[in-house]
Amino acid sequence: MAKVAEATETAQSFKTLSAEKLNFKQNQDAWSILECIEHLNLYGDFYLPEIEARILSQKPDSHTEIFKSGLIGNYFANLMVAGNGKIKKMKSPKDKNPANSSLTLSTIERFLKQMNKLSLLLQQSARINLTKTKTSISISKHIKLRLGDTFRFLIYHIERHILQAKRNR
Amino acid sequence: MLTPLNFIEKLLDASNEFAVRTTIAKNQFLIREGQIEMNLYYIETGAVRVFRLTEFEEQTIRFGYRGSFINSLYSFFKNSPSELYIETIRRTTVKILPKEIILKLAYETHESLIQYCQLLENLVTQQIEREIDLLTDSPSERLQRVLSRSPELFQEIPLKYIASYLRMSPETLSRVRNS
Repeated sequence: MAKVAEATETAQSFKTLSAEKLNFKQNQDAWSILECIEHLNLYGDFYLPEIEARILSQKPDSHTEIFKSGLIGNYFANLMVAGNGKIKKMKSPKDKNPANSSLTLSTIERFLKQMNKLSLLLQQSARINLTKTKTSISISKHIKLRLGDTFRFLIYHIERHILQAKRNR
Repeated sequence: MLTPLNFIEKLLDASNEFAVRTTIAKNQFLIREGQIEMNLYYIETGAVRVFRLTEFEEQTIRFGYRGSFINSLYSFFKNSPSELYIETIRRTTVKILPKEIILKLAYETHESLIQYCQLLENLVTQQIEREIDLLTDSPSERLQRVLSRSPELFQEIPLKYIASYLRMSPETLSRVRNS
């Protein structure tokens, strides 16, 4: 929750920046602030409806135990962790690469709407079992992750790219 | 004295006299979500689109190009924050007419009030047309309805925005158009 609020706040602050600043790239291959944000939007497009559908199809679980991470889920989530503000470079799948698409301020506003949605989903998920609920992932049809791990992955991933965007500020 | 035939002509006369003319680059906003609409825009050259932003997409709901009047109508009437964006699709020259002038023109005389009512009737009719568009199941029928209203649409507006307006993917639109 705190991380989502932090990402929201940072994205809000981006709205005051000039168009040049928002589109500025350190070098040809690097992403601008808007491209970082759009990359997150593209992930949200997949994961938010997926998570919502899974939450809605679950019965509320009154005695929710503490979440236990799965082997693969834990691996993916930790892959995204940005340790001490450092990020290891990774390659993005092609369909999630925002480079050179036409982006405007509404990209940031769309991201803010997604963060709002994500907070709501986190609240709703308090009453269901995060270990037993499984969600699909964007890169493979054969792997399903525990909802708790999907949340961890998604939020670390957001933190990672917000950090990347901040460097251009 | 020559009286204008309808309110649109009145607005055109007024925009020659009172409006501020400005040229706006591509992908800039005339109004954004949350702002209150205080103007009416007359598009001299270029094109704009009106859209609503959700978490997942920009839903295009209206276009304006050479010769159109456009604004965020609900916000304009209700003085409430706009739920819509108006964005320039390319470099666009607009004349900006403030709300006070429009209302003054409307309430000026008995005759002008009748003309204003006629304009509002037209707007309501257009909204219903649009509602029927959205309720029409067949993609090709949706396209036909829009083309019969605005035959020049494809000359003015890029395909991807027309597809969004018609609630179909750009691929579906190309296919329907070519069949």
